Amino acid sequence: MAPNVLGISCFYHDSAAAIVQDGEIVAAAQEERFTRKKHDPRFPLRAINYCLEEAFLEADELDAVVFYDSPTLSFDRVMKSLLSVAPRSAEQWQKAGPSFLGIKLFVTRYVHRALKHEVPVLFTRHHLSHAASAFFPSPFEEAAILTLDGVGEWATTSLARGEGGRIETLEEIHYPHSLGLLYSAFTYFCGFKVNSGEYKLMGLAPYGRPVYADLIREHLFHAKPDGSFRLDMRHFGYLDSDVVTNERFDALFGGPPRKPESRITRREMDLAASIQQVTEEAVLSLARHAREVTGSRQLCLAGGVALNCVANGRLQREKIFDRIWIQPAAGDAGGALGAALAASHMHFGVPRRVGGDGRDAMRGSYLGPAYSSDEVRAFLERHGHPYERNEDREIRVQRVAQTLAEGKVVGFLSGRMEFGPRSLGGRSILGDPRRADTQTVMNLKIKYRESFRPFAPSVLEERCGDYFAIDAESPYMLLVAPVREELRKPFELPAAELGDTDLLEHVRRERSSIPAVTHVDYSARVQTVSRDVAPDYHAVIEAFAEKTGCPVVVNTSFNVRGEPIVCTPEDAYRCFMRTEMDMLVLDDCILEKSKQPAAPKDESWRQEYELD
Amino acid sequence: MNRQLFRHHDTIGHLFVPGIKARVEHEAGGYLLRTNREGFRCRHAFEKKRAPGKFRVLLFGDSYTAGDGVSDRFRYGDVLETLIPGLEVYNFGLSGSGTDQQYLIWREMAREIEHDLVVIGVLVENIRRIVARYRPYETPDGKPVLLAKPYFTLERSGDLSLHNVPVPREPLTESELAGDGAAHVDRGGRFEGLRRLVAKLGPDVKERLQRWTRYQPLPAYDRPNDPDWLLMKAILTRWTSELPGPAVICPIPLYQYIEETASPKGYQARFRELDAPPRVRIHDPLGDFQQVSRAERRTYRFEVDCHLTPSAHEVLARSLARTIEPLMAKSS
Repeated sequence: MAPNVLGISCFYHDSAAAIVQDGEIVAAAQEERFTRKKHDPRFPLRAINYCLEEAFLEADELDAVVFYDSPTLSFDRVMKSLLSVAPRSAEQWQKAGPSFLGIKLFVTRYVHRALKHEVPVLFTRHHLSHAASAFFPSPFEEAAILTLDGVGEWATTSLARGEGGRIETLEEIHYPHSLGLLYSAFTYFCGFKVNSGEYKLMGLAPYGRPVYADLIREHLFHAKPDGSFRLDMRHFGYLDSDVVTNERFDALFGGPPRKPESRITRREMDLAASIQQVTEEAVLSLARHAREVTGSRQLCLAGGVALNCVANGRLQREKIFDRIWIQPAAGDAGGALGAALAASHMHFGVPRRVGGDGRDAMRGSYLGPAYSSDEVRAFLERHGHPYERNEDREIRVQRVAQTLAEGKVVGFLSGRMEFGPRSLGGRSILGDPRRADTQTVMNLKIKYRESFRPFAPSVLEERCGDYFAIDAESPYMLLVAPVREELRKPFELPAAELGDTDLLEHVRRERSSIPAVTHVDYSARVQTVSRDVAPDYHAVIEAFAEKTGCPVVVNTSFNVRGEPIVCTPEDAYRCFMRTEMDMLVLDDCILEKSKQPAAPKDESWRQEYELD
Repeated sequence: MNRQLFRHHDTIGHLFVPGIKARVEHEAGGYLLRTNREGFRCRHAFEKKRAPGKFRVLLFGDSYTAGDGVSDRFRYGDVLETLIPGLEVYNFGLSGSGTDQQYLIWREMAREIEHDLVVIGVLVENIRRIVARYRPYETPDGKPVLLAKPYFTLERSGDLSLHNVPVPREPLTESELAGDGAAHVDRGGRFEGLRRLVAKLGPDVKERLQRWTRYQPLPAYDRPNDPDWLLMKAILTRWTSELPGPAVICPIPLYQYIEETASPKGYQARFRELDAPPRVRIHDPLGDFQQVSRAERRTYRFEVDCHLTPSAHEVLARSLARTIEPLMAKSS
C-alpha cells in the first residue's frame, strides 16, 4: 500500500495543507498565498486544492486527511484554563468557547464538505505534528527532537526521540508555562504584533543590552537545571484576558507597552536584548537536557520558537549536538506537513527513507506551485505586458546579474514557491549587498518601510565560509552567523547611556563589505544556496559573483509590507508595478520596468494589507 | 483559481495554455485536468501519423466535450477509449467555444493529423455562440469585460466570410463596442435580466420555473430558415465537406431537453437535415439520456453548474459507442 495522506492545519494562524504520497513529500503551501490574506487562519480550501493538483489526485484517492492537532484536548485545555481563573475569565469564555464549539470540533465535517467525499479524518497531537515535521524530513536516521511554541493542546514544549519511522515523546512542559508565549509577551509589550512581529523583536535585540535579563529570570521565568521552566503567571494576562501581559508586567518594566508604530526607545531595545538572551539560555538548556536524555548526536527542531534564528545560530555554535536540522516551516503551517508525515509513517507504516546524500527530504522547501513559461507568457500576452523571453538560462542569468551589479533591484519568480515564512529564491526580491544604499533603496522604494533590520544574504553554498563564520549549511535562512572579521568595518553603537538612539542612522552605516546584510552586531541571517537544490537561483548568484567577485546577494521576500509573499505571476507583476523594482523575472521571461506602460497612480492598495 | 487556463490565440480567440496540470475548484469538490503540449485537454500528445492498429477519432466540441466540471478520465471522450479497445480519441474540445471556433481549430490545427473519423459534439446551445462576436469575461479582479471572438457571416452567395481575425487581444467594455456590437454579445440567451434574477433565487426556483413555463431556450431551431440555423448549417456543411473521411455529428442536448422541460423537436429536426450517410451521420443521444426516470436524469448535471456529470458522460459515451463501433468494424 502506498498511502496518499493530506495534512491540514488551520483555525489558529497560518493555515496550510500538505500532501505526502508513500512517505514522499509532494506539495505543501500556506493558505495565505492563495487568498492573499496574511496569516490566513481559515480552513485551507485553496491550499488543499493546490496539493491535490500537484499530486494529481482525486479526493477519493486520499487514504486519510490528518488534522494537526487534537481539538478535544485543546478544548479541554481552554475550558480548564478558563475555569481556573473564573469568574475573571467570563469574557474570555465568551470569545473562546464558540470558536472551539463552532469550528474546531467539526473539522471532519469541514473536510467532507470541502472534498465532497467522506475521506477518513485522523487527528494527531499538536507537538507530535511539529516533531514529525522536524524529524521525518531530516537527514538523520535517529535524533533528539525539541518542539517549542506558544501552545498546542496542553503542551508548550516537548522532547522526543525519533528513530526510523517512529517518534517517542519523552517529556512535555505544559500550559501556561510557555517559552513561545513569554517571547510573544515581550513582542506585544514592545509594540509589535503577536504571532508575526517576533522576528522584529529578534532583529531589535542587537541594538540593546540585556539589562532586564536578571529581572526576567527573577520575576517571570524560572529555569530549572533540567531545562524545564515555569512562568510566574501573576505577570501575564493570557489566562484571564485577551492581552498577553498585565499591569504587574508593566510595573516591572517601567510603564505601559509601547504603542505600535511609535518611536522605538532604549527600553524596547534593551528588553529585546534581554528576552533574546533568556530565550537563548532556555533553548541551550533544553538542548543540553535533550542530549543527556536521548544520548543522540543529532537534534531536530520545530515550533514557532525554532524560527528564532539567532538562538539557532548560537545552538549551532555551542556544539551541544553534532548536527541540527530545523523544519523551515517551523510554525503551525508546518504542522500540516508533520501531521501528514506522522500518519504516513506511524499510522500507515510507510517505511521512512533517509537520503544517503546527507540532504533532507524538503526539496529546498520549494513545495508550492510552479508556473511554466507557457503559463507566464499566457498571462503576459493576455494583458499585453512587454517582456523578453530568453530560453537560454546562461544569457538570462547574465542579464539579471548585470542588473544587480548596477545596483538595481530585481523581482525573481522561479520554479516552485517556498513553503514556510521565508523567501528562498523562488519568490524573492534581490539586490546588491555591497552597496551602502541598497538597504535604504530596497526599504523605501520596494518595501515601503524603513526597517532597523538589515536584509538577509543568499550566498553560494561553496563560498559561504569566505563570508560567514559558520560551519554548517543553512538552506532555509534559519541560522544567524557572524560576518567574517576580515570583511568587517569599524563600527560602534553609541553607549547606552546616551539614551534613545536613531536606529535607522546606525543601520545605514557601513559595517562590512556587504553592508546591506550585516546587522549592527556583525551578524547575518544566512541562506546557503546549493546548485543541486536551487539551480536557477544558484546560477544567478554565481553570475553575480563572476561579475563582482561577491558570491552574495540580498534576498528579501517578494511582497510589500503586510502582503503575503507572491504566489502567481500575476501577484508578482502587481507587486512589481506597485513598487520601484527595476526588473522582474518570471521563469524565462524578463520584464523591465522602463518598458512597462505607466500604471495609473493608485495608492489605494496600501490600505489593502494590514500592516504586520 | 491560481492558474490561468486559457491563452489568447489570433485565429481561434483562445485556447488552453499548453502543459498545464490543474485542479479547478468546483461545486462537486474540484476536478483535475491536464493539457497536452498543443494546448488541448487531451491525454495524448497529438501525433501526425496514426499508430498501427489504432482507430483514431478527432473529437471536437465545447466545454461539454473538454469536460468542464469533471476530471479528465470521466469525460465521454476518455470513457469511449475504455469502452472500445483500439480506439484513440484526440480531444480538441475547447471550453467557451462555438462551433465556428471548433471548425477553425480543425482547419488550423487538426487537418494534417491522420485519422479515421471526426466526431463533432455540438452542444445545441452553440447556435447562440456562432452569432456572437464578443464573449463576456471576468478579469481576475472581478471586472466584467468583453473579449472578441472570430465569427462567420453567411453571405447571399452561400459562402461563409470569416471576421475578427486576427482576433483583437485587448478586452473591451460594453461602452467601447462600435456600431451594433452590443447586439452581438453572447449573453447566454434571451431575457438576460430575468434569468439573472431567477439565478439569484437559486436552483430550486429556477427548475420550478422551467417546468412551469416550459421555456424554450433555443428558439432558433424552430424554423428551417432561421438565419442562425442557416449559419450553423453552413458551418457544419462546409466543415464536413472538407473532411477526408466520415464524420459523426452529435447534438448534445441541454438539460431542459434531457429532463423534458422544453421540447427538443426543433433542434432534432434541424440536425436531421444534415444526416447524409455514409459521409455524415447524425447521432442523437437524447433517447439514451431519457432511459431513466426524470428524477434520475437530474443527476446528469450538477446542482448549480449545468455541465454533464460523470454519469452523464458515461451515458453519452455508451450512446456514441453504438455509432462508432460499427464504423470501426467497417474500417478494419
